[in-house]
This record gives sequence, structure tokens and C-alpha cells, in this order.
Amino acid sequence: MHIVVPIKLAPDLVEDLEIDAGGAALDRTFLRLIINEFDDHAIEQAFLLKERGGGQVTIVAPDLEGADDVLYTAAAKGADRLIKLIGDFSAGVNCHALARTLAKVIGDLHPDLVLTGVQAHDDLDGAVGPLLAEHLGMPYLGYVAGLTVSDGKCMARKEYPGGLVAEMDVALPAVFGIQAAEKPPRYVVTSLITQAMKSATIEEIETGEFDSGGAAAVERMSRLEATTHAEMIEGSTDQVADKLVAVLRERGLLAPRG
Amino acid sequence: MPIRETFWNIPHWAELVQYVLMVLTMLVFTYGVFRRIRRWRQGRPERRTDRLGARLGSVVVHAVGQVRTAREAYAGIMHLAIFWGMIALLMGTALATVDWDVTRLFFGFQFLTGGVYVVYELVLDVLGLLVLIGLTMAIVRRYMLRPARLGNAPRPILAWDDAYVLVMLMLIALSGYLVEGLRIAVVQPEWARWSPVGRMVAGWFIALGDPTNRNLHIALWSSHAVIAFTFIASIPFTKLFHLIAAPANIFFRSLQPGGTLTVTPADREPGVKVWRDFTWKEILDFEACVRCGRCQDVCPAYSSGLPLSPRDVMIKLDAHIWARGNGHALAGDVITPDELWACTTCRACSQACPVFVDHLASIVDLRRSLLAQQKADARLMDTLGTVRRYGNSFGKSDRQRALWTQGLEPRIKDIRKEPAHTLWFVGDYASYSPTLLEITRATARVFRHAGMDFGLLYEAERNVGNDVRRVGEEGLYELLAMKNKAALDKCDYAEIVTTDPHTYNALKNEYGLTRPVYHYTEVLERLLASGQLSLIDRSTHVVTYHDPCYLGRYNGVYDAPRRVLEAIGCRVVEMPRHRECGLCCGAGGGRIWMQETPGAKERPAESRVREAAAVPDVGILVVSCPKDLVMFQDALKTTGLEGKIVVKDLIELVDEAIQGGTPQ
Repeated sequence: MHIVVPIKLAPDLVEDLEIDAGGAALDRTFLRLIINEFDDHAIEQAFLLKERGGGQVTIVAPDLEGADDVLYTAAAKGADRLIKLIGDFSAGVNCHALARTLAKVIGDLHPDLVLTGVQAHDDLDGAVGPLLAEHLGMPYLGYVAGLTVSDGKCMARKEYPGGLVAEMDVALPAVFGIQAAEKPPRYVVTSLITQAMKSATIEEIETGEFDSGGAAAVERMSRLEATTHAEMIEGSTDQVADKLVAVLRERGLLAPRG
Repeated sequence: MPIRETFWNIPHWAELVQYVLMVLTMLVFTYGVFRRIRRWRQGRPERRTDRLGARLGSVVVHAVGQVRTAREAYAGIMHLAIFWGMIALLMGTALATVDWDVTRLFFGFQFLTGGVYVVYELVLDVLGLLVLIGLTMAIVRRYMLRPARLGNAPRPILAWDDAYVLVMLMLIALSGYLVEGLRIAVVQPEWARWSPVGRMVAGWFIALGDPTNRNLHIALWSSHAVIAFTFIASIPFTKLFHLIAAPANIFFRSLQPGGTLTVTPADREPGVKVWRDFTWKEILDFEACVRCGRCQDVCPAYSSGLPLSPRDVMIKLDAHIWARGNGHALAGDVITPDELWACTTCRACSQACPVFVDHLASIVDLRRSLLAQQKADARLMDTLGTVRRYGNSFGKSDRQRALWTQGLEPRIKDIRKEPAHTLWFVGDYASYSPTLLEITRATARVFRHAGMDFGLLYEAERNVGNDVRRVGEEGLYELLAMKNKAALDKCDYAEIVTTDPHTYNALKNEYGLTRPVYHYTEVLERLLASGQLSLIDRSTHVVTYHDPCYLGRYNGVYDAPRRVLEAIGCRVVEMPRHRECGLCCGAGGGRIWMQETPGAKERPAESRVREAAAVPDVGILVVSCPKDLVMFQDALKTTGLEGKIVVKDLIELVDEAIQGGTPQ
């Protein structure tokens, strides 16, 4: 069984985000990238499957700052192949272009399962998974929170609002959008990553030109502006009460003191 | 002239049999010791043969002098009485043998004659009594007082080991007196008054008459010899082995700063998975443990009802080393993850241990292996991931590390850009914790008031890695230390100061820096003594002071904070557990990053604030560690002691004293 996990690197929200001078994209100068949280779960789910049923795990990452870290960390967890996509990802690549690129690379790998994060916080329409499935000619199932593989078939668990759970049989090969792994992503100790950096090799595959066709273009990007903000009234109980009455009078909600 | 025929009433063949027995005993003994040493040597190598003078000195003080054993009155008197009594009796017996079968036989003279002989008799007679007193104390304690720390729950069979030693010692001492008494009853020498106990025993037998007493004598003499040889032969197979393992363990103890950990070679899996992954010294630790339980008594995890007892860990590991089929995973099968994660690394256990067992080395080694297998608290692993990514445990941007300096005018020097005398390594808690914001600013104010020339690393500072290391994430510690050292190397400074004892410990003892590292209390003590820090208002507070583990037990800084408090006018009243015996707040060793363990009776921090609140007249619990402040303020809320006592950092009191008045 061959499991392929393509991952994305998304802006780390711990750092302040800035919009660039053009007004339609993030300023990437100070941007720090982090593995998309859902992709981290996809990686974990891949290792859980490998632990239970054996197989091979291949991780595919775009050539961006932090990709080596992600790949070597995956190697320390037990990944069998590490692939870095070489291309111009620095300006950001939309999901159509990414899906087409991934389809070319992943198609050659002949996977049984492709696990992607169901969405990323820089791409909330979550389209990479479905688009990739379309290009690969495989079925897609999203918002998956658990997988069991047996005899070339896969049973996927999906959670619905209201505490409902569905289990669905999916014929392999297939693409899954992982919402959560069955267990939280594991922590791998640093010394094992250091060892992986010495022993593991990262294969590099050129992506060629990106084809962004079919994507919506961003016209303007702006910060969500708080239109109103709460005013905190401080002081002793009496002071707060007086202030509150004054405010209510000022807004005409209480009759003026007669 | 007073003299004694050593083998009086003993047929020559029995004397010869005795020597044959002695040779056999020595063979069994040597085999037993060899078997133990062979086991130690299966551990990983570790170098412990530097500074031979200091090592021998340590053996004299702690193995011969037994200073730590003597710290407790009852157990101390008990042990010293048995030990010194037995040593004297052994030497007495050896002297008599040498006198008779060496000097008399080969050189034709005896030295145990006349005055020397009567003194010899008197001393042995009295010291034998000392053994009996010690043994009685031991029996009363073990079987009547029954302190919890002597229980054998992890290995009930050890109760036989305990009983065997007491019975054998008792038999040796009693049979010795009987043999002496019977000899005196028959011979009735005129100098018998110099053997008061022997003469008393003789009194019981005189009426039986000569042939009976002679026969009794030879029977008891034989029994005494057989028991004594059995006892010696059994030393390497029972807990008596501590007679050898304890001095060895003291000799080979770490002479590094307290709490220095073992190093896993880079090509191996982290930590200890199977027993052969322990270093030989760690294995020696298990064998040296006499199960006295002092470590259990002082362990904050044990007293708060968590499943850890350092004593039980040692017992289980020792049993495992010798068990058949002992190749299986240690952490998990032998010691549970819950036990290992309960440790706060406060070092109270190894500080209390009379034979210098280094519990922490083994616990951290086992943690390393647990962590590599992800058998750790989820929150802890999350935090480690955060520290690895952001360089701090708060998961904030490094650009926000110096946010607390905003509004301080003039701006604090950026030591990466301009030189300063003192490099202030702030640490995660003091930098990021909202609770500590004002205290960190007060520290800057006091440093400025004292005219200190200081600067910060700003966003180049990383978590120092002290606790990361103690949860067993050695690789991450190395990464953090490498980044910090790279940042420090580029700066121009003469000394480092920090408010955080954990940071202090790592920078001072583990980073291998060339410039001195001080805790802020040490710096303040110096500034107050030199008059550089002037006070406007001396306080009149009555306070008690909590010793942080990593400042006190790890680094021996007990006096500086107390002197600072006194210098600013505080009266310091001690809590029952202070200085070396100070109780841990429960945050160390990464515990602050783990989920509260359900089922704990009373958290260490709660126990500590109750202890502080019970000290008469004291209104302030003074701390000198950022984590203590967080822990105790929380404990005040959960214990409902908020109105009774307040927790303050020492710097707050100094800040009040330099500003005048008590800001409320």
C-alpha cells in the first residue's frame, strides 16, 4: 500500500500579517510559514495506517522555507520517500495550479491513497483535494476523521454536526481530505530529526510552469476592521452604576434626571 | 598479667576447620562481589575517576563519617551504633586472631597483654552493647513504629532480606557475649571486671559447673563462628552489599554541579530502553540503595499523592537488573510513565540520600526513551513542539519577546548592537507571562536605579532549555543552547544576570560559558553591600522566603536572597522546610507544561502556601523565581488563603524600598 501525502505551507498566524503594496496579496517579506495544520493530521493518519497495515508513506512538499524541516520531521516519524517540488512557489500558488502540479507528480507515484488536509487557512475553499482527485481520476471524500484499510477497500469515518458519524466504503485508489487524524499529530524528538537529516534524502522534482487557470483572482485584500468596539467601564460598583446610568441617559435610553 | 588464650577450650582441629571455613567464606564473598561488578560493567561507559583526592575525601566524610546518615537523630544513632559497634567487634576479632596465629605463632610474642589487653576487653565489651542498642532501635522502628518509607510494597520478598540482616547481627552479638561469658565462668580470671557484660553473663552459668560450661562454650563458639562466616559470605547477596556498594557509590559520585545529566551518544536511540542502556554508575546506584526511604519522605510528588517514590524506582530497577528475562522495555514495563512524569526534578531525593544515589540521572534517562516513543503528556509534547518552533514555551512570536520593555525610557540597550557590562538573559516566563509583566519592569527599574549598565538580547534570546532537557528532550536542548550561545558569542558583555533560577542553572552549569552568570539576588546583594543601590525607605515587613530548587539545591544560593531581604529591612522567619530541605513548588522538570494529574491529594504549591501561611506574623511569601510566583498565586486561590498571605517577588520589595513607601 502506497500512501502519498502532499502538504502545504501556510502563513504562521503567530506573526503579524501585512498586506503588500499592491493591496491584493500578503506581504511575504516577513511571512513565516508553517505546515498547514490539517496536512499535519494527514501525515499522522498516514503513519497510523502504516503502523496498522504496513505500506509506504511518501511526503510531497513545495520548495519553500520550512519544507526541509517538515520533510525531515516526517522522515524521523518513518516516512519512506521525501519529495520536494522545485518551482517558483514564493509568490503563492493557487489551488488550481497546485492541484495540476501535484497530479502530475503523484500520478507517477501510483498511490493507493492520497491524504491531503481538508483545507488550509490560506485557502478556505479546500479545493486542492477535490481538484487533485479529478485530475487523477480518483474518488474524493472530504472531512474525514479516521480511515481503515482492508483488502483494497477503505472505510472512512466522517463526523457530522449533531454528533453523527458516518462510515463509508471507498474503492481505492482514492483521495481523502483529512479533517483530523485519529490521534493528535505525534511529537518526534529532535535528536531523531537530526539523525534523519543525516540519513534521509530528499528527492527533487521540477514542477515547470504553473497553470493557474480556473481560479478566482483576488482584487483587494484588507484587514477585517472592527466597526464598533466595547468600552470597558471600570471602578467600584457605585461608580460603574453611575457611569452606566449616564451612558444610558446620553443615548436617550433613560429619561434625563428630572 | 592479664592475657587470654585466644583459642581457649577449642580443639586444634576446630581451629583448623575455622580457617578452612574462612577461606570458603572469602571465596563465596569474592564470587558475589565479582558477580555484581560484572553486572555494573554491562552498563554504558561513563568516566568517574577524575579528582581522586576529592573522591577519597568524600568517602571519608560520607561513608566512614556517615554525615548524611547522622542528619536524622533516630535513624542516625541507630545506624552509627550498629556500624561502629560491628566494625569495632570485627577489628577486635581480627586483632585477637593476629595476636594468636600470626605474631605468637610466627614471631613468638603477643601484644594483647597486660594493660593493652584489659582496655581491649573493656572497649569491645561496651561496643558490643552499642550494637545491641542499635539493633533494638532498628527492630522497634521497623516492626513497631513502622514508618511508611520502610514498606516493601514494590517487592514484598525484601522483608526477608530486612529480617535476615537484623536476625544475623543479633545472633552474632548475642552468641559472642555468651561465648565470652562461658569462658569467664570457667576460667574466672581476676581481670574479669574489665568485661562487665561478659562477667554478668558468666554469673548466669557459674552454677552449672565446669564440664557443662566447657561443652556449652565449644558449642556456642562453633555457632558464633558459623553465623559470622555465613554473615560475611552473604554480604554480596543481601542488602548488606551496601557495605561495599555505598562507599563505591560515594567514591564514584558525580563531582559535576548538582543535577548534571548523562549524555546519550549521538548514534544511539535517546535514553534508556533496556537496562544495558544505563551507564554503569546508574546501575551502581540501584545496588547502593539501602531502601532507607529518606528520598520518599522529601519527594514532593510522593507527598502530593502521585505514584512516584524515588525509593521504589530504585528498588524496581535493581530487581529488574537481576531478574530473568530482563531485556524488555524498562519505561512502561518496569517503571510506569506516570511515575516518571511525576518527577519535578527538585533534587530533594538525591540531596537526602546518605549514599549519594543520583535518582534524577536515571529518571531523565528513562524519560528520554518515553518521549522518543511519544509516551508523554499531550500538553507537554505540544509545548515542546512550540518551543522548537518559536523558541519559547508561550507560542508567541520572538518579536514579542521584549514587548514588556515598551514605554521604558530610555530604551533598554540592545546588547547585540552596543556593548554593556551586564547581559540580562530574561527567560520565557519573565518575558511573556502577563502576570509577571510588572515584576520584570520593576527589575529593570531597580537595575537602572543601581546604575547598572545592562542590555538585552531582544528577539535573539531563546528558551534556555533547562527544563526541556529535564523532560528528556536532549536534542531540543542542544538546539536551543546552540542558538543562544551563537547569539551570546556575538555580544560584548562582562557578566550575565537572570531572574530565573532554571535559566541560571543552565547558563551557569551547562552552557560552558566563559563569563560569570549571576542570579539577580546575588547581584542585588553585591549592590547593596557596596552601597551602589541606595534605599529611600526600609521596609518593616515580616516575610518568609521560599528557596527555588534550581537556585538552592542545584546551586547553593541560600544566603544572597536572605541578605537582600534583611538589608531592605525585612525580618525573615523561616518555614519548617527551608534551605536544603525547601519544598519544591511543583513546576520544575517540565511539570509546569503538563496537565494536572488527577487524583493528587494536595499539590506541592498548595502544601507550600499552607506552610507559609502557618508561620506566625508572616504576611508575605517572598519568592525569587518567576515560576514560583505563578504557581503560588494560583495555589493561594485554590487553598482560599488569599486574604491571609500574599506572594511577592523579592524584586517587588526592593522596588518599594528604592521608591519609598508601599505602593498598593
